[in-house]
Amino acid sequence: MRFDVDSFREIADSLVRNKSRSLLTGFGVFWGIFMLLFLMGGGQGLKQLIFSNFEGFATNTGILISSQTTLPYKGFKEGRYWRLNYMDVERLKQMMPELETVTPVINTGGREAIFGTNTSSVSVRGIYADYDRIEEPRIKYGRYINETDILQERKVCVIGKRIYNELFPDGGDPCGEFIQVGPVFYQIVGVDFSSGNISIGGRADQTVFVPLPLAQKIYNRGANVDLICTAAKSGIRMSEQEPRMREILSRQHLFDPKDKQALVIINTEQMFALVDNLFRGVNFLIWLVGLGTILAGVIGVSNIMMVTVKERTTEIGIRRAIGATPRDILSQIILESIALTLVAGSFGIVFSVQLLRLLETIVKMNPDNPAASFQIGFWTAIIAALLLTALGVVAGLAPASRAMSIKPVDAMRDE
Amino acid sequence: MLIELKDVNKTYNNGQPLHVLKGINLDIDRGEFVSIMGASGSGKSTLLNILGILDNYDTGEYYIDGKLIKNLSEKQAADYRNRMIGFIFQSYNLIGFKTAVENVELPLFYQGVARKKRHQMAMEYLDRLGLADWATHYPNEMSGGQKQRVAIARALITRPQIVLADEPTGALDSKTSVEIMELLQQLNREEQMTIIVVTHESGVANATNKIVHIKDGIIGQIEDNREHQASAFGTTTIMK
Repeated sequence: MRFDVDSFREIADSLVRNKSRSLLTGFGVFWGIFMLLFLMGGGQGLKQLIFSNFEGFATNTGILISSQTTLPYKGFKEGRYWRLNYMDVERLKQMMPELETVTPVINTGGREAIFGTNTSSVSVRGIYADYDRIEEPRIKYGRYINETDILQERKVCVIGKRIYNELFPDGGDPCGEFIQVGPVFYQIVGVDFSSGNISIGGRADQTVFVPLPLAQKIYNRGANVDLICTAAKSGIRMSEQEPRMREILSRQHLFDPKDKQALVIINTEQMFALVDNLFRGVNFLIWLVGLGTILAGVIGVSNIMMVTVKERTTEIGIRRAIGATPRDILSQIILESIALTLVAGSFGIVFSVQLLRLLETIVKMNPDNPAASFQIGFWTAIIAALLLTALGVVAGLAPASRAMSIKPVDAMRDE
Repeated sequence: MLIELKDVNKTYNNGQPLHVLKGINLDIDRGEFVSIMGASGSGKSTLLNILGILDNYDTGEYYIDGKLIKNLSEKQAADYRNRMIGFIFQSYNLIGFKTAVENVELPLFYQGVARKKRHQMAMEYLDRLGLADWATHYPNEMSGGQKQRVAIARALITRPQIVLADEPTGALDSKTSVEIMELLQQLNREEQMTIIVVTHESGVANATNKIVHIKDGIIGQIEDNREHQASAFGTTTIMK
């Protein structure tokens, strides 16, 4: 195979000679690679946006909520209310060693926090110190609720991001300040900046976290709790623990263990799996559509190369007569095909990268949106370029084999 | 002998078998200026294709400079064509989107000659044929005679042993035809170039030193024509 600057000039020449034809053919490839990369980047960004809702949430968490029974059981009619209580927490802890954390939560919503002249509508959540295993806090200032707070029932609190922004618009470390929630003053010991969107009785950024025994007394909650949050040990699937939890609690509270409505168990593992599956489906579609479009483009390239070869029968015959080997002709056609695919495809790559950058900028303009990366990776782009080269070769194969079959005598016969 | 053909046969099998060459025996020595004459359908084009290694023959033997030309691979055939044979065609067969100098360079490109070197050589040959000023022009900007001279430069640039011309004046007017034939005569005289011209024009044949008549696939008479008196109407001009 002979190869020098002129080879490239010739390829460029022959592509430029049929400008509109090359342009229209290249557009198919351009659009294909653009679609694939843009959808890949977009899908990835969207996935990150959605997963940021689960931010800080343990992936194998089960949240137990008591509700009205829907089945009659042991002489009780359906439609009976029951409540979870502290004894259930202890029971679950002792009877289910598979659970790493079992922690109760009580919620009171619709309250107002006041600091100076600033107010913020909040919900108050009583928690134990190990609640951080369920919903991981991002402490910006100070610390989280700890064991001593619980034992001594201190009137301290950790506030969410939004409360902090509304009560302390000037910023700064609020730790040590007292805020009023209802009739009670709490001393701020920490600020939690986590922005997850999973809400267990109110979003974390609008929640005042206080020690649970304190909340229990202040809000007259007795022995009942609103939720019990559980996290399984690593390697143990939460969904496999569900029946046992139902069994333990139904025995105690006399509801039918088959009554899914009586005890609602929100399983984050299942939610994760759901979203994950959704995106697996989306990704499959992206690949299907993207690769399909590229393939259509490449077939277009192959077709147009076929026409080119037909048009240039005489020229190829002349080349053969004056000493071009079949391999020379083969490489010429294949290189032209690669050049067309690669140039068109490179524009597609560049265009999709630019558009993804724009998309990322637009998403970032709204500060409420969590950070998400829409951009495709460097190596993805390189692989895309390699893929295009390979497809260029494939597209050139059929036309090249036709070109190779042209005999030098055809040059003279064609006249 | 530069060229030896021994009992060469060729049959085309397109539906009805057509026996085109029926045992050709022909010797051509180095430095000869030969024309092959015959009516259309006489097999002269087939003979030229075989001489130019553009086509295969069925039986017999064909030697160039002692080398048997038979059952060559495509690559080998391409290499022989490139190094041993220069082609001049009736329809010039220049590549339309290449300039004169690029057309002349092309055989050297396939030889793998460096870019600068082949450009320099191409310019040299164009200059010798008086076309240096036309080097960067495209074929469609040139006259027929100019185009044929570019084609001759392309045929000569590899310093071939044989120049094969297929109706080299077929598309030219009589004045230009004379010029082209004189150019070929000059090449033969001054550089001892072996030239074989295929034609059906007696005037063109008369410009050569030896006329091989071919009829119905058999070589008839071989005329010695060093006096250029071959035909009554060919002595002074090339008849169209």
